[in-house]
Amino acid sequence: MPKKYDVIVIGGGHNGLVNAAYLARAGKKVLVLERRYVLGGAAVTEEIVPGFKFSVFSYVVSLLRPEIIRDLDLPRHGLEILPLDGTMTPMQNGDYLWRVNDHAKTRRELDRHSKLDAEAYDEFAQSMVAMCRFVKPILGMIPPDPTSLDPRDWKKLAFLGKRFQSLAAEDKYNLVQLMTMSAADFLDQWFETDVLKATMSASGIIGTFLGIRSPGTAYVLLHHYMGEIDGAFRSWGFSRGGTGAISSAIGAAAREAGAEIRMEAPVARIMVKNGSAQGVALETGEEIHAGAVSSSVDPNLTFLKFIESRELPDDFLEEVRRYKYRGSSGKVNLALDALPNFKCLPGPGRHLRGAISISPSTEYMERAYDQAKYGEYSRRPYIDMVIPSLTDPSVAPPGKHVLSCFVQYAPYKLSSGTWDEQREAFGDTVIETIAEYAPNLKDIIIGKQVITPLDIERQTGLTEGNIFQGELSLEQLFFLRPVAGWARYRTPIRKLYMCGSATHPGGGVMGAPGRLAALEILRDTGKGKR
Amino acid sequence: MAAAREIVIVGGGHNALVAAFYLAQKGLKPLVLERRAVVGGAAVTEEFHPGFRCSTVAHSGGPPLPSIARDMQLAKHGLEKLESPVRLFAPSPDGRALVLASEPIAAARQIEQFSKKDAEKYIELHKALERAGAILSDLLTLTPPVIEKPSKGDLWKLLNVGRKFRGLGTKEMMRLLRWGPMAVADFVAEFFETDLLRAAVAARGIYGAAMGPWSAGSTALLLLRAASDPFPVGNSAYPRGGMGALTKAMAAAAIQAGAEIRTGAEVEQIVVKDGAAAGVVLRGGEEIAAKRVVSGADPQRTLLGLVDPVHLLPSFTVKMQHYRCKGTAAKLNLALDALPTFSALKNSSEGNAALAGRIHIGPGIDYLERAFDDSKYGDFSRAPYLDVSIPSILDSSLAPAGKHVMSIYTQFAPYRLKQGDWTQQRDALADTIIKTLAAHAPDLPGKILARQILTPKDLEETYGLTGGHPFHGELALDQLFTMRPLLGWARYHTPVKGLYLCGSGTHPGNGITGASGANAAREILNDLR
Repeated sequence: MPKKYDVIVIGGGHNGLVNAAYLARAGKKVLVLERRYVLGGAAVTEEIVPGFKFSVFSYVVSLLRPEIIRDLDLPRHGLEILPLDGTMTPMQNGDYLWRVNDHAKTRRELDRHSKLDAEAYDEFAQSMVAMCRFVKPILGMIPPDPTSLDPRDWKKLAFLGKRFQSLAAEDKYNLVQLMTMSAADFLDQWFETDVLKATMSASGIIGTFLGIRSPGTAYVLLHHYMGEIDGAFRSWGFSRGGTGAISSAIGAAAREAGAEIRMEAPVARIMVKNGSAQGVALETGEEIHAGAVSSSVDPNLTFLKFIESRELPDDFLEEVRRYKYRGSSGKVNLALDALPNFKCLPGPGRHLRGAISISPSTEYMERAYDQAKYGEYSRRPYIDMVIPSLTDPSVAPPGKHVLSCFVQYAPYKLSSGTWDEQREAFGDTVIETIAEYAPNLKDIIIGKQVITPLDIERQTGLTEGNIFQGELSLEQLFFLRPVAGWARYRTPIRKLYMCGSATHPGGGVMGAPGRLAALEILRDTGKGKR
Repeated sequence: MAAAREIVIVGGGHNALVAAFYLAQKGLKPLVLERRAVVGGAAVTEEFHPGFRCSTVAHSGGPPLPSIARDMQLAKHGLEKLESPVRLFAPSPDGRALVLASEPIAAARQIEQFSKKDAEKYIELHKALERAGAILSDLLTLTPPVIEKPSKGDLWKLLNVGRKFRGLGTKEMMRLLRWGPMAVADFVAEFFETDLLRAAVAARGIYGAAMGPWSAGSTALLLLRAASDPFPVGNSAYPRGGMGALTKAMAAAAIQAGAEIRTGAEVEQIVVKDGAAAGVVLRGGEEIAAKRVVSGADPQRTLLGLVDPVHLLPSFTVKMQHYRCKGTAAKLNLALDALPTFSALKNSSEGNAALAGRIHIGPGIDYLERAFDDSKYGDFSRAPYLDVSIPSILDSSLAPAGKHVMSIYTQFAPYRLKQGDWTQQRDALADTIIKTLAAHAPDLPGKILARQILTPKDLEETYGLTGGHPFHGELALDQLFTMRPLLGWARYHTPVKGLYLCGSGTHPGNGITGASGANAAREILNDLR
């Protein structure tokens, strides 16, 4: 039977789309299959409350790789990143900590809290830039296999070793610490202001089931810092029209390159014959054959749901089952009649245009984690909020606003009850937590959407609601992601590839896994005929 | 002034004694200066109540590396190892007793009462740790390489470890790489379904650390310990006469090799002249000139306390200040009128024989984690994790006839309390420990004749452990191997020429193995060549 497609990409999330776009640009005939009515996976914009457009899951852009923006010419396809200015943290004593992109202003603000910290802040930023420079090429690298004797692998390891040697002594020291320490311990070495450490360490726990004092979180801190240093690309901010606009732009680029995208086409299984992928069968029973299958969904769906277990080696399956998801975050999206009024900085103002972080102290952050460890959502959670409607009026009716709240911790597995029973209470907890700092919040809510980890799983397919398709813990990174020995986008089944966030370099709206997987697929199959 | 000695050694702990032995063997006549009246540091046997003696601080751990025991001929110097056929007894919350024999097959049979699957997995874990331990044990005796430009010798040694590592096969190699940074709670869950067994094994990954079982990297600590003893729940052997008998034998070996040991000699300052160590000053003012000074004290005491900061770069001092060295462990030693009766053993065929190994109190992973939670906010655990030993069962020399000593290692008791200080809280801590134990052995409180509580503050003041840290600094991923105590200073040298570190705050640290002392001696001898 003639194959209509060279490659079928399962899932129309940002990585699936990036993957498809790169393959199509190389001349492959590509078909993307998306289960939902909307493209983007966890990077979607949906009108949940009439007139209000929510970036339902992912809500800021920080990590999208500049080479992808460039290669796919995304601005031409409608991508516009609007700046997100700084972070404001209201404190429990009525004060606040407000860092903005304006260096002098941030310095004055830090001075108000601690002169030492104001000085250390610059040094810290410089050091982080050096670290990021070191780590960046790793993000664009196919992970080497340290157990192999292949000279190509050794070359990569030697390359890393050489780069490491070229770092200044202080940076070496910092880098080694970053790879092994907890975010809070790491920051303790630099700063004394507790609220500053609390807010900064928060980026070390996003999307993980770890606390700010858990070793390994310093690396996640760096992972998130990466976007911020690309000031030139302005890659830290909102995308106009919500996060879904990113997916639309990548989708448009893929279509222009010749990829076909089918919506509401849920895959039921991957067809395998003699250890080789043949195509996919949809839930409708329709079978589509292709030269290769590239799956952007997580390993749980790819290997445990879409493929019969007899097609896979036992030890591989064992490792896939062991791979940790452990969603730990939820989302509350609010449609507001007016702007929230913060006690610490009353009235409207520039502070509302940036992120607002509920992370008043390191103890607050750690206690939020403690509850999650025993299967409860945090009674006083860490919340990262943005009001995109201030920067992008297109997402709300005139004069009205959208408040997008990322909430942690909300463990997927609850020790008692179900998320369906606890959804309302969870939403109320979030609203009450914010209302402690912005008391008018309860009176201005016109509509709300509460998303638990279970909802993330149901709507996007992300197993256990993990927004990164698996924890970003050290044992699940680089050559160990998702499974040791299978970190290079290939799988034990020939012509079946992985291209989602569960592969190196992992989660965030970054697109790197999709691109790297495309390069590997092209390496195996050669360029297309066109 | 007398001619300068070749070497003085600060502190008479076990690592210092091992270093002294190897240096003395080469004719360097090292002088060991111990602050207390007794050598041994944290490995000592002391009479804490008339007629009752026990290993007041460390009560198990080690054993010393076989190569060290052989070189020092410790057996000849009076060391006798007592080994209980039972390694560990852990009372289960449901009233049953988990008793693990030293012999793995027998231990597995005992686990069958809890879970057949776990029994099989137990053997599997034992074998896996044996294989991993065989490779890691080579690392113990290795001087951490300079990562910027490893010397040929470093590369050769690493290559050898690498070759052995490759011998594991791809699957196990990857498994080992994956295990290291993991939380030990995840690690044990890959093997066992019984919570009590999980906790008993996981305890090995948090022992002496400011970590709970859910802390990432705690598996590395378990693996490090498996390098000395692959038994999943660790060692329970101790010397006849307590840990002090071990260090006594070490001291005897060092003296016989030519070392001199002075007790009651507290070093107050390490003298630095022209950027190089020149000797020490004792409390009381006595100066001892030496060409080289080796410190068995912890890195912070040595480099922040004994060396005048003008001799160090501020950037080094700042890093040393950030070295994490705040202990979370305390010790309670009890003199008992008779053995307590553990409820879980009443219906067990093991009876009191089960008490001769270590007793693990920590019925589940969540229990251990909650115990850790308290300490994060500056409280001691309301329900602590306990590692208990009743050495008088196998060694009648420690207590009057029919009576016993009970040595209780406790976690978590943070060095810094949020409320009050340890002077005010010491009794509350002792009471909490006794209450926790009494839940499993209700007649215990009535049998206590005397008690000695050692809080982290006592460990610091009496035993000289900075921050009360039993291991001279956290055994966390960022403070191990090439990073112990600091990146760039992991080869027993310090920024002061002729000043060396040989204590637990250097690679590999951890327990009474003597490896740090032996490695340091090797580096010093290399420098002298």
